Amino acid sequence: MSTYDLNARLKSRSTTQTKNTTSEMALDDVARVKVLSPGRKVFKRFIRNRLAVFGSITLIILFAFSFLGPLVYPYGQKQIFYTFEIQNVNYALAKQNTTYNGYDVDTSIELERTVVNSMNSSIMKMQENNLDSMLIPGEPYGYQIDKIADGVYTLSALDLQSIATVGEASVEIGTYDSIKKTISFTSTEVAGLAEEAAKSIKGKDGSFTFNGVEYSYTRGAAKSYVLTAVMDGVNLTAQDPGKGFTEAVQKAIQAGSTSFEFNGKTYTFVQKGNNTNVYLAGEPNTAKVYTCLTVDTLVTGQQVSNAFKSAVLMALKDSSNGAFEADDVSYTVRNEDGAFVIYDADGNMFAELDTFTVRRYTGEDSMDFDLKEAIAANIMQMNEEGSKTITFEHRLPSQGENGEYVYDENGNLLYSNAEIQITQRNTGEYVINCDQKNYVIDRYAPPSFAHPLGTDGDGFDVMARIMYGGRISLMVGFVVIIIEVILGIIMGGIAGYYGGWVDNLIMRLVDVFYCLPMLPIMIIIGAMMDAARMDTYLRLMVMMAALGLMGWASVARLVRGQILMLREQEFMVATEATGIRVRDRIFRHLIPNVMPQLIVIATMGIGGVILTESTLSFLGLGVKHPLATWGTIINSVSSASAMAHYAFIWIPVGLLISLTVVAFNFVGDGLRDAYDPKSKK
Amino acid sequence: MAKYTLKRLLYCVVILFFVMFIVYVLMYNMPTGFVEQKARELASRPNALKSYAEWLADLNAQYGMDKGVILGYLTWLKSAVVGNWGDSWAWTVPVLTEFHNTVWYSFALGLVSFVLEIIIAVPLGIVAAKKQYGFTDYFASIISMICISLPTFFVATLLKYIFSVQLGWFDLTGMQGRDYLNLDDFGKFLDIAKHFVLPSLTLTIVSIGGLMRFTRTNMLEVLNSDYVRTARAKGVPEKRVINYHAFRNTLIPLVTTLGGSLPGLFGGALITETLFAIRGIGYASYISMTQADIPFTMFYLAFISILTLLGNLITDLLYAVVDPRVRLS
Repeated sequence: MSTYDLNARLKSRSTTQTKNTTSEMALDDVARVKVLSPGRKVFKRFIRNRLAVFGSITLIILFAFSFLGPLVYPYGQKQIFYTFEIQNVNYALAKQNTTYNGYDVDTSIELERTVVNSMNSSIMKMQENNLDSMLIPGEPYGYQIDKIADGVYTLSALDLQSIATVGEASVEIGTYDSIKKTISFTSTEVAGLAEEAAKSIKGKDGSFTFNGVEYSYTRGAAKSYVLTAVMDGVNLTAQDPGKGFTEAVQKAIQAGSTSFEFNGKTYTFVQKGNNTNVYLAGEPNTAKVYTCLTVDTLVTGQQVSNAFKSAVLMALKDSSNGAFEADDVSYTVRNEDGAFVIYDADGNMFAELDTFTVRRYTGEDSMDFDLKEAIAANIMQMNEEGSKTITFEHRLPSQGENGEYVYDENGNLLYSNAEIQITQRNTGEYVINCDQKNYVIDRYAPPSFAHPLGTDGDGFDVMARIMYGGRISLMVGFVVIIIEVILGIIMGGIAGYYGGWVDNLIMRLVDVFYCLPMLPIMIIIGAMMDAARMDTYLRLMVMMAALGLMGWASVARLVRGQILMLREQEFMVATEATGIRVRDRIFRHLIPNVMPQLIVIATMGIGGVILTESTLSFLGLGVKHPLATWGTIINSVSSASAMAHYAFIWIPVGLLISLTVVAFNFVGDGLRDAYDPKSKK
Repeated sequence: MAKYTLKRLLYCVVILFFVMFIVYVLMYNMPTGFVEQKARELASRPNALKSYAEWLADLNAQYGMDKGVILGYLTWLKSAVVGNWGDSWAWTVPVLTEFHNTVWYSFALGLVSFVLEIIIAVPLGIVAAKKQYGFTDYFASIISMICISLPTFFVATLLKYIFSVQLGWFDLTGMQGRDYLNLDDFGKFLDIAKHFVLPSLTLTIVSIGGLMRFTRTNMLEVLNSDYVRTARAKGVPEKRVINYHAFRNTLIPLVTTLGGSLPGLFGGALITETLFAIRGIGYASYISMTQADIPFTMFYLAFISILTLLGNLITDLLYAVVDPRVRLS
């Protein structure tokens, strides 16, 4: 607090008085009148305009927000945010396994790909016909599928010799050599056929009749013909195994058996169309074992090797006692009430074989054995009740804050009870649903402390995007206006100063650009850039250049008008008289006098450019995602449903655009009034 | 005056020639334009007899795109001058048919908002001028400035949000309600009118600001003129000064500008129509432009360029008609 010192005041006043009196002052002395420089005068008038001041302050805040804000704001414009959300997920899938998977038993045996690929359908055929064994003929080997237990089949390779065909069949009789005129017969000789063949065989293929049998021939290699005939009954295709074979075959077929013994050898029938083929099979060598059973180990998530699986399956054979060894450990498998249970060497239960598989929805086997059992039991109960869905409670691994599993100090999983729902799908599978904490993109998060304006549909922070968007929107405004003003000054200056045909030419150009409809042209350019798949930064450049090119006409018109007026004034006559260079006359004497109007038109123009830019970006024809501008932010929520639900995103941005344009307009208005008070009537 | 008009008209033709040339060059150079898309579509049909390149050459020849920019433009110009605007590619009807289908909706929309704009903005501007620096003036100025600064798409979205989503008074988009076909003629008219409320409101809001400021500025100019001072000095009642002497003189610039904006009513409101899915010419042209439909886009741009030039011409001519002090030369 300062005290009022009367003495000091009086003293200072007397000294100034003496000063004034000593230097005599004229009435029109400049020191008497407080003169402000033109600039300060304008500033003073500007300051007095409340709206203009409001606009200026708003703009300063907006600039600070957009250009300095991102420096302190922790997030970037393209930073995607994630969150943990409790979702009802498809936790697991249970189904009755009906497809058979093969495991190698003996890899040294080569198998035909077609046989391996059709295993599932072959097994299905066996099940339909209630067969325990099936022969698949092939060359040079045959294959045999044997059922060794319920849902377990082996695939073996064996030597297979085709002996005969039963039924009406096209049988290869022999090969006719047209040079030697002889026939080498496959099995039984037909007397006189060679002579007949020599007479009848002509050309590439055809047929002839001999003794009431129709023979057809086709030309093979080196003038030889393959003769075939359609024969009924038992037709031997190889060497005759002996007398009475044909009768034995017919007897066996009538008896309906699938194989028979003849001369100490076992012959097997294979049905082929309407015929039955008779084969002589060798010793089968098991190559693969197929099963629809899956191994569920008691220890959660323990994976067993394929070698283990093939070993346990082979151990299910009737002949074996169930003991097997896999990966240097011995196990025993036992059939207990239709279920196969595997015990380890100590007699503890190790795993179970089951056709009912329960897996995580992703397909991995990482579920607890008791959970699998519980699910199986509940599905059974559900089926008994005849319902399609059931809900039960069971313990599940508990999830921590970040969705991870929680372990106790001993490294064991902690469990908590959860509600589990099982639903049967139309496909017969069972889906197990429960609540799980998931790591997901934080879409459309409402405003919170971490995200003051929430997040948008891509998990971007809206506040950060508004800041970065403001940078681009404001920058576009300035760059475009600078382009416009520079072009306008050059063209308008030249036209106004020179006049004549130059003026005429430039003004017609101005007319053309004035007439060009801005928005449609910008839309066309936007569509062009869309079609060219232009990079978004390049788009920004092109858009600014195009907007600048489209807008210079009005500036040029203003500059020309002002220059036409100023050209006639005395100071311009003076510049001419003193011989100043033309360029200097235009750019140093004329243009500065146009500056006030230029500044006004530029300030108000920035608002217009920002409007156009945001409109284009809103239509998706300007700057593109993921680059943020105010227009694209609104565009991202412009669909009807997003607009209705996420008003907290687009309303602030829309207000911000309006506020910016209002501010520029207020400042422009204020500047005009300040420069030219006469206009403010 | 006839000579002046003729000269202006000639200028307009020259300007139009170059404007359309610029537009044609842009449309011609569209990287994957309509023709390319069509050729690709035709070539990928199951029993396409020609390859993409062959189809492209065929279609280019068919659409007159194989002659180069300048010859192509001249070809377009030649047929356009005789009124043959071709068939729209995007709408698959003749350009003029599509024009007739759409322009009247645009005109109705434009006319309604034009009338509303005049009814609201002119009195407000006059009141603001009368009470210069008063509260009303500030209020009106701020409102008009805000209206100028509002982006159309934001106003449209805001109106939709308030009146369609929150209050549920209007449909979000479209021109007809769902039971439109069951209504009688008057009901149909009312239905369409109801769907035009929000779009015309949008157009009115974004346009009143400019007209209000214009009215205010001109009214102020008139109020500061000598004859108003004389009238006041004579003791003419203030009401009569404003309504009789001042307003009638303010009408001169008003009538000329409003007269000049009359042709613009046919031009359609591109953004508003697109956002509200009004099948007006603005919407049709937006679709055409994004799909590189050269015939319709060229027609539309020529149309609005003519409207702009016509508007300018009408303004200048009206000036001479309304204000006897002005002589055209």
